[in-house]
Amino acid sequence: MATQPQRTANSIPALAPEREVRWPKRAKAKLANGLEVILLESHTIPKFHGELFFRSGNAFAASRGTALAEMTATMVRTGTAQHSSREIEELLRGLGADLSVNAGQDNSSISFAGLSDHAEPLLQLMNELAREATFPAAEFERERRQKLEEVKLERTQPGFLAGERLRKVLFGGHPYSQISPTAEQVAAYTRDELQSVYRDFYTPENAILILVGDFDAASMQRSAEKVFGNWTGKKPAALESAKPPVPKGRRVYLVDLPGSVQTQILCGCHAITRQNPDWIKLGLTNSLYGGAFNSRLVMNIREDKGYTYSPRSGVNPLRQYGYFSVSAAVRNDVVAASLTEIFYELDKLRSVPVPEPELLDAQNYLTGVFSMGLATQSGLLSQMSMLALNDLSDDYLETFREKVRALKPEDVMSAARTYFDSANMQIVVVGDRQHIESQAALFGELGIYDAKGNRVS
Amino acid sequence: MKPLQIPIEHKTFANGLRVVVAPDSTAPVVTVGVYYKIGFRLEPRGRSGFAHLFEHMMFQGSENAPKMQHIKLVNSSGGVLNGSTMYDVTNYFEAVPSNALERMLWLEADRMRALKVDDENLRNQRDVVKEEVRVNVMNQPYGGFPWLDMPPVAFRNWANAHNFYGDFADLDAASLADVQTFFRTYYVPNNAVLLILGDVNVADGFSLAEKYFGSIPAGPPPQFADPTEPQQVEERRGHVVEKFGTLPAMAVGYVLPPRRTSDWCAMALLDQALHGGRAGRVYRELVLEKQIAVEADGGVDDIFGYDGPAQMTTRLFHKPEISSEDTLAAFDQIVRIMQEKGISDSELDQLKIKWRSDYFATLEGGRGGQMPKYGLMHLLACFTLFDGDPQLVNTILDGFLAVAKEQVQDAARKYLQPQNRAIVFRKPIAKSEQEAA
Repeated sequence: MATQPQRTANSIPALAPEREVRWPKRAKAKLANGLEVILLESHTIPKFHGELFFRSGNAFAASRGTALAEMTATMVRTGTAQHSSREIEELLRGLGADLSVNAGQDNSSISFAGLSDHAEPLLQLMNELAREATFPAAEFERERRQKLEEVKLERTQPGFLAGERLRKVLFGGHPYSQISPTAEQVAAYTRDELQSVYRDFYTPENAILILVGDFDAASMQRSAEKVFGNWTGKKPAALESAKPPVPKGRRVYLVDLPGSVQTQILCGCHAITRQNPDWIKLGLTNSLYGGAFNSRLVMNIREDKGYTYSPRSGVNPLRQYGYFSVSAAVRNDVVAASLTEIFYELDKLRSVPVPEPELLDAQNYLTGVFSMGLATQSGLLSQMSMLALNDLSDDYLETFREKVRALKPEDVMSAARTYFDSANMQIVVVGDRQHIESQAALFGELGIYDAKGNRVS
Repeated sequence: MKPLQIPIEHKTFANGLRVVVAPDSTAPVVTVGVYYKIGFRLEPRGRSGFAHLFEHMMFQGSENAPKMQHIKLVNSSGGVLNGSTMYDVTNYFEAVPSNALERMLWLEADRMRALKVDDENLRNQRDVVKEEVRVNVMNQPYGGFPWLDMPPVAFRNWANAHNFYGDFADLDAASLADVQTFFRTYYVPNNAVLLILGDVNVADGFSLAEKYFGSIPAGPPPQFADPTEPQQVEERRGHVVEKFGTLPAMAVGYVLPPRRTSDWCAMALLDQALHGGRAGRVYRELVLEKQIAVEADGGVDDIFGYDGPAQMTTRLFHKPEISSEDTLAAFDQIVRIMQEKGISDSELDQLKIKWRSDYFATLEGGRGGQMPKYGLMHLLACFTLFDGDPQLVNTILDGFLAVAKEQVQDAARKYLQPQNRAIVFRKPIAKSEQEAA
């Protein structure tokens, strides 16, 4: 890089030749019991990160209860056949380990990180959590109470209320419409339900174990086989879910939060999953629109107009369906003005070809940021899990950058026309009705809801 | 256990700028940071929130990189950027593919040399900052609890006690002249450290740094207000109304011993004993066992990041059917047992293992996978600006791992005292008042 010619202080230095981006080798194995194991060495710090995924989450459990997989995950660390809750926490601390057990719509996971010099005992403890959790009754009642307080608190958060309403509108009778249980649903959970979710979901045939860190891959694989090899269990049978509705025409959903000093805007429409061949094209289009600091939406409503602090857009890929969304928390008196700009920028990408230099900037952004995942153990783990959980081809990482670079202005326009479905966007605004109702009504037929989720007009 | 050997090189340029290079070619990514030794603690009186507002202004344009150019240059080079204002430092940083290193140095040097902003930029960012305060504090349950609630209760010196996000009247009063004065006073090379981490060779790092930063003139050494607190002789208490949440909450903060003393190391392990996740005594006793609290967390946030009074703070969200006084009494009992019985050898061993593991995680983490080496950068910057020695990154662990169990108990006796603490009660507004509001 010192080979660049001398420049004066006021001209922008050119980029030096790029160093090759090389993704580390992955070792993959499938144990006889069906457990997939993916290993990747990364020696940045003397630790390792791991995640044991199960390919079933809240959506799969929806016919039994709302967010049941999540409550099940919460209980996993509270007791096993061998250890009490307190012992588990002290064992973790003594191994220098962190643990979180979670479930989303599509997956449940036991996520952990620890010191490399205590790796095998940590794997053994994870094995115990995956197979021998006992769901102690007293722990269950305590966790239930904590959950009840959590669901109460959510209803005071504008971001949560907006997300909840949009998901209901886009997904209707499909399980993806439920992002959180009501207090009544939490009160009705039973230990038996949770234990049956645990029995059905937490099986080796349904699982993927990903390990990234400071270890020797061959010996770590032997440890994994030793620890998890004699586990048995089948994958749960596939389920059919109701098809989501296809909303036609713009509609506005106002969630009334009296006294709110700001309004949360969230607009969305159906889009695609990561498996769709248009995924990368839409990703690039999104980063031009509102997916980067330098994007059009951020430059417009933040840097030019000062309406908001953190506007953004994104494509949210769930396993069965994906949706596109735009969000901004704005000053109460500029709700209509912000929505106007949100749609102006969407429609502009649908109708005017993106200039080549701007396209090139966005391509550089997307390919550069993609490589940041190489630099840390947790970054590598999240890339590995993205591939594995979406069944993406093995060369996805290696070919991603060239696919981004091959895109043309017409690709961006076609992605915007197909997926930035401006005419049928659903608009959620969360704020004080007195200040924002007349502004919101300018954008479509208006429905008004309270913070509990009931329609009030 | 191998000692840490992170390669670190350090120089001071003729203009007083300190430069730290930490090479690591694992990934073709380089992180560039500039830390200025001024945070919200020592911002001007009558201008609460100014250090943070000023941080926003640093993205609004410099001599050769006008507004929008700055962000565009980083993003279009394939990188991400941000800045943040803390108690005693303000940082600006970019992570980019390593072929953009020279461009990033040019950009950071350009805005260290000359800030070029106008009234329109200031109006725009004042609006943005107000929306930031609304989204993070005023329109969120338990917003600002306790980081904005605690200082006015715990401290008497304005530097430590004021509203760091800023009263809106003070933000409105800030002028362009204030912006340029602040810039000239604190944003001089002799009050900053430049950090280059990742895919760079050391000689290139220093020579490129010299090329772009070497000719920026030094300024007069900044004069800092004195953040020393008068001796505290009593427990302090304050009350804040919670407008959204329904659980009563409290925060209990104890002032830490001075940086890099053996008491400070002992206090860090005491913090781990009390607040180390679900095994920590506070969560275990109050949430898991006695079930008085529904949530408990806290501790020392960013222990290396302070150059003035700082606290270890416990946050408790307790059941409404249990009174605040009973909750506090249960917390006090944990403190008393620690003071009377101390900790066992095996607990100390666990605390040290976890502390070491957390330290490694800090080096790699900080801002998720999107900002590689943020944590290492932050520690190098703080050790350079506050202690004059970035190599402490490799050795600072030793002091914590040498702590004896008696020292942990002594720290509890010495520092967990009423005349060293402040308590903020955040009580939900009554339902009837809520409806009237």
